[in-house]
Amino acid sequence: MTTTSTAPARPAPLFDDPQQSTARRILGTFKGPVGSISAALVVTLLIGLIWVGPAYLSPSNVQIVGVSVAIPLIVGVMASFALLAGVVDLSIGSMVGFGAVIFNQLVAAGLDPWLVALITVVVGAVVGLTNALVIVKFGAEPLAVTLGMLTLLRGLCQVIVVSAPPSTLIDPLYTVTQGAILGFPTLLLIGIGVTLIAAGIVSKTRVGRKVQAVGGDDRAAARAGISVTKVRVIALMVSGIGAAIGGILYVGQLGSASNVLGTGLEFQIYAALMIGGYSITRGGVGNPLGGLLGLLVVAGITNILNVQFFDPDYLDLIVAIILLAAVLVDRIRGGDSFE
Amino acid sequence: MTTSLITAADPAAAPEGRGGRRRPDRRGPAGYRDALSIAAVWLVLIVATTVVRPDFLSSQTLLAVTFTMSISGILAVAQAIIVISGGLLDLSLPVALVFSAWATVTALNNGLPTPVAIVIGILAGAAWGALNGLIVVFGKLNPIIVTLATGFGGLAVMLIFFTSAQIPSASDLRLYGLGRFLGLPNIFWPMVIVIIVAGLALHFTRWGRHVVAVGGNAQAAKARGINLRRMRLATFIGAGAVAGLAGVMFSAVTPSFTAAAGAGFQLIVIGAVILAGISLSGGKGNLLVLLLSIGFLATIPASIAFFGLPPAWALVFQGALLIIAVGIDGYRLKRTAR
Repeated sequence: MTTTSTAPARPAPLFDDPQQSTARRILGTFKGPVGSISAALVVTLLIGLIWVGPAYLSPSNVQIVGVSVAIPLIVGVMASFALLAGVVDLSIGSMVGFGAVIFNQLVAAGLDPWLVALITVVVGAVVGLTNALVIVKFGAEPLAVTLGMLTLLRGLCQVIVVSAPPSTLIDPLYTVTQGAILGFPTLLLIGIGVTLIAAGIVSKTRVGRKVQAVGGDDRAAARAGISVTKVRVIALMVSGIGAAIGGILYVGQLGSASNVLGTGLEFQIYAALMIGGYSITRGGVGNPLGGLLGLLVVAGITNILNVQFFDPDYLDLIVAIILLAAVLVDRIRGGDSFE
Repeated sequence: MTTSLITAADPAAAPEGRGGRRRPDRRGPAGYRDALSIAAVWLVLIVATTVVRPDFLSSQTLLAVTFTMSISGILAVAQAIIVISGGLLDLSLPVALVFSAWATVTALNNGLPTPVAIVIGILAGAAWGALNGLIVVFGKLNPIIVTLATGFGGLAVMLIFFTSAQIPSASDLRLYGLGRFLGLPNIFWPMVIVIIVAGLALHFTRWGRHVVAVGGNAQAAKARGINLRRMRLATFIGAGAVAGLAGVMFSAVTPSFTAAAGAGFQLIVIGAVILAGISLSGGKGNLLVLLLSIGFLATIPASIAFFGLPPAWALVFQGALLIIAVGIDGYRLKRTAR
């Protein structure tokens, strides 16, 4: 029941011929948004190869891109569950900053890093729960609620960190954020691992189908016996926890947390997710793998601009144009049109 | 379990007014209730601050609050037009503001007379609105996503092309921005006029009633012969022109500004609109309540300063207030829908 109501673009696996279903399903995935975003990634890589030269795909450059994309990837994949459930969480950028600030300040104050990490994650869960309470229980607009939370958390960051923040060096965290396994950055491996697990949950498990059903049509999902409240509350808590973890990882990467850390991160992440097939105005669509490809496109363009000494402001312009193109392609393909 | 099922089946619980589902119209008494509750909370804030710091009630505070109200008030009218017409939200208004301020200042620096510079500023805002409107109408794309993209893209373009803009210090516009009328800043009065004119136009002109009708139920409005595309484009251009006027006023009071100067207005403007009971699903709203909510939000930073707290607390309170306001609004809609 649930599978048929989830993704109209893809054929329901229920009616697939079992013998060729696996191959066809993989191909089917690439026909949708994931296909066009793969094409965009290939184009980005080609432009990079032609413009920058073979050094663009050299191991050291790939490592730079990989490290820069890892934390937004983890935060984005966790936040994508809220998008999938039909509630957008704009507060993730500020939550990354707030998580980093409280983690950094409490560790600098001499508390045990593991305990502080736990506290930070709990704070992320509480922020997600607060968002969820107002959105789900009171039926308020997710966009407006989480915009308020974005401002509130940014204000708290500025209240806590007035001047230069203390710097911290935490050994186990440092090995995670700066280390490498077999030449691959550890952080990137974790990010890809999280993405694959999330992709598995979304496409293969009952939980994933429930989330898609709630995001696709909440009334139909409720009639099918799914608790819309529970799914959305948990999705928003996952989003908050992911942002808190992202904050902790940034402290490991940067060794400190200023009060502007994470500002505008929500735009980059949601632009990448929308380029990868998600929608911030309707739920039920998108796949974490598409999100990964979207982030890689943005990071690949950033890298080209960096290597060629371009003004970083061009990035926002290019991302904005790609974003508009992506939603236009999605609309033409049969996505929601406005009026 | 039962509560969750009720929540899910409740139309007001749906995150966005997608398609045909519309909330019941509750203009009239509800408008007065909004006005009364905002006025009451505003009064509590003023009384509380005055009890702690009796010197809060001074002409200096009045000047500071009305000054803050002026530009955000005009910009909030632009946002309100978009929201009431069912255009959801315009996230690119800060860019419209700075773009038209830049156009005004550039015109003045090139020796054009003040009235021409003001017209250029307003036209720049209208042109920005037209860009958004064209993309929304012809791409059939959601205005929130479109203005998110044009907002970031537009900011990037401005950052590339200018680092800071200065208004000529002896120009008429600058002197106007420094002046006062009836004890209040000069720029306060255009804001009041814009709110009154726009408020009257929404309720008493054919154009205004069409805007409200399209916002309330686009398909029904279309069935009654209103051209949706033309209407949508007109509201974006109109709102852009109002934002352009806000930009002109902004340039008059700001000796020098950067491309990112508009960012601070985003939240106070959206917050004021939502606090005023102008629902994001469109079709209803009272601009006089908007004036009250702008006044209330503009008082918060002044109160914070008098309480001796760091200015960052203003962000915390404004954010918390926005969350509470949309929560109460959603709860009331749910109760009336039941």
